Amino acid sequence: MSGDVSRPGLRKGGIIEKTKEFWRVYSRIRVGKIGLVLLLIYVVMAVFAPWIAPYNPRAILVGKHFEPPSWKHPLGTDEMGRDILSEVIYGARTSLLVGILAALLTMVIGTAIGIASGYIGGITDDLLMRLTDLFLVIPGLPFIIVLSVILGASIWNIILVIALIAWPGTARLVRSETLSLKERMFVHASRVAGASDFYIMVHHILPNVLPIVSATMVLNVTRAIILEAGLSFLGLGDPTAISWGTMLYFADKEGAMLSPNPYYIIAPGVALMGIGLAFVFISYALDEVVNPKLRQRR
Amino acid sequence: MFLFITIMFFIFRLMPGNPIGLILEQYNLTPEAAQRLIHLWGLDKPVWQQYLIYIKNLLKGDMGISYVYNAPVSSVIFSRKLLNTLALLISAHGMALLIGMILGVWAAWRRGTPIDIGTLVTALVLYTIPVFWLGLMLLMMFAVHVHWFPLSGTITPARSYKDILQYIGDYLWHLTLPMISITLIRLGGDFLIMRNTMINVVREDYITTAIAKGLPEKIVVWKHAARNALLPIVTMAGLDMAFVVSGAVLTETVFGWDGIGKLTYEAAINRDYPVLQGLFFILVVVVLLANFLTDLMYAYLDPRVRY
Repeated sequence: MSGDVSRPGLRKGGIIEKTKEFWRVYSRIRVGKIGLVLLLIYVVMAVFAPWIAPYNPRAILVGKHFEPPSWKHPLGTDEMGRDILSEVIYGARTSLLVGILAALLTMVIGTAIGIASGYIGGITDDLLMRLTDLFLVIPGLPFIIVLSVILGASIWNIILVIALIAWPGTARLVRSETLSLKERMFVHASRVAGASDFYIMVHHILPNVLPIVSATMVLNVTRAIILEAGLSFLGLGDPTAISWGTMLYFADKEGAMLSPNPYYIIAPGVALMGIGLAFVFISYALDEVVNPKLRQRR
Repeated sequence: MFLFITIMFFIFRLMPGNPIGLILEQYNLTPEAAQRLIHLWGLDKPVWQQYLIYIKNLLKGDMGISYVYNAPVSSVIFSRKLLNTLALLISAHGMALLIGMILGVWAAWRRGTPIDIGTLVTALVLYTIPVFWLGLMLLMMFAVHVHWFPLSGTITPARSYKDILQYIGDYLWHLTLPMISITLIRLGGDFLIMRNTMINVVREDYITTAIAKGLPEKIVVWKHAARNALLPIVTMAGLDMAFVVSGAVLTETVFGWDGIGKLTYEAAINRDYPVLQGLFFILVVVVLLANFLTDLMYAYLDPRVRY
């Protein structure tokens, strides 16, 4: 993992130059580009939902109950006669919001604990790693179920709860990176020059762990999206939000399986799969950019 | 471990919604009967006292009484439910590991060919499918459109069996769909790990040597390469226990499979804290045990690791 290989993320040149360099490597990876295009489609769906969706996703009885697909309703209608295509388009908002915010929060908690643990060392390290181990053995979904029953179902609680169980992996990774970074020359030099520990952590360690953390963050987005869908599928999602998991919950409960419109079940799942694939592809490409060793392997 | 039990205890006490209230609604109990129940379950004592009693009982192996089932927690958990879950998880994960390993070795050996790329993309797709959705799709295809498999449950209700074989047959028939969905989901990840390690192993000098010696390809692949590529997949299988449980909750709910996962979900909904505490206790013990077994397997597979 460590050694003195210079990574594209190491500080050299301005931001623009770095971005150019990053894009030069990234754009050579075909999967990465497919992933970006897929993601772009979802982002457009989420941002412009009111203009793209043919109907108001909450308006009931725009069609009959469980109407099979037609020109008027490309994916048919659900048990309340709502337009499924519109619901799927609006669902991108919930998924992206939960996925990205939960992953960001995971990254913040994990990075803070990882850097503190690795840099300070000693008892702090012991305590923080004990805590990390504790959270690592907690079974994820059951814990999330319990917490969301306690906190009540809202998007913000779901984000919080997902981050709360997802951070240990990041913390472990950041800690091991920090351990090797803090022995590097520029950190020693900075300390000799009189920089405080806090300054070193924020200005020297943090920028250098970020590339690796951001690669794992993309996978955390996928995980958060799937967890949110799972939670909503159990009927524990935010009842005010339109989410693919919640759609599947009602589809299952209201017997869409036996209805004339199977797309009520198919569509939200395909949407979930597509967004998952987008992030997996991007994370694969990022991994290659961040770890030059992987790149040479091809 | 002790810290964990303590945290869990207080988290569950924080849950809103009074369990007694729910039960009162269900059974129309008189206030006196409710008082007796509250006293019986020790809910009239202060929280710290409840906590001390809980720890004392736990040390004796007594995990309390379920509010919903009105039976000792241990008998609710250690019942057919546990066996059902074990049957489902062990069969599904065994299958996924086996198929994932074979396919991974095979794809890595033929790296870059269309077959390899095809399997790789399939694996990535499988990796991103939500397990409950796959379950729903399988149900829709094989239980609703063609009636090959049952919609839910572990056995056909109210059916009498001529002999034990018929019973086992019925059970396996119910097991098929949930098992396939977990297997398929896990397959993607297992395959990817195996393929990645194999690609690295294949490049080692001893593989080149083995090929140069003129050994048959089969022996080189399975005896020399695959054996050395087993470590990461074994580690992952052990460390993934916490995720395995999550998959079980969703799959069991979709298929109405009467196991621990479904019990967890129902206990959370019904505020059945004693059962939840018991479940989390067992789950964590299982995860720790799995980690320990992983270490042992590691030492067995890699003779350089000795404790």
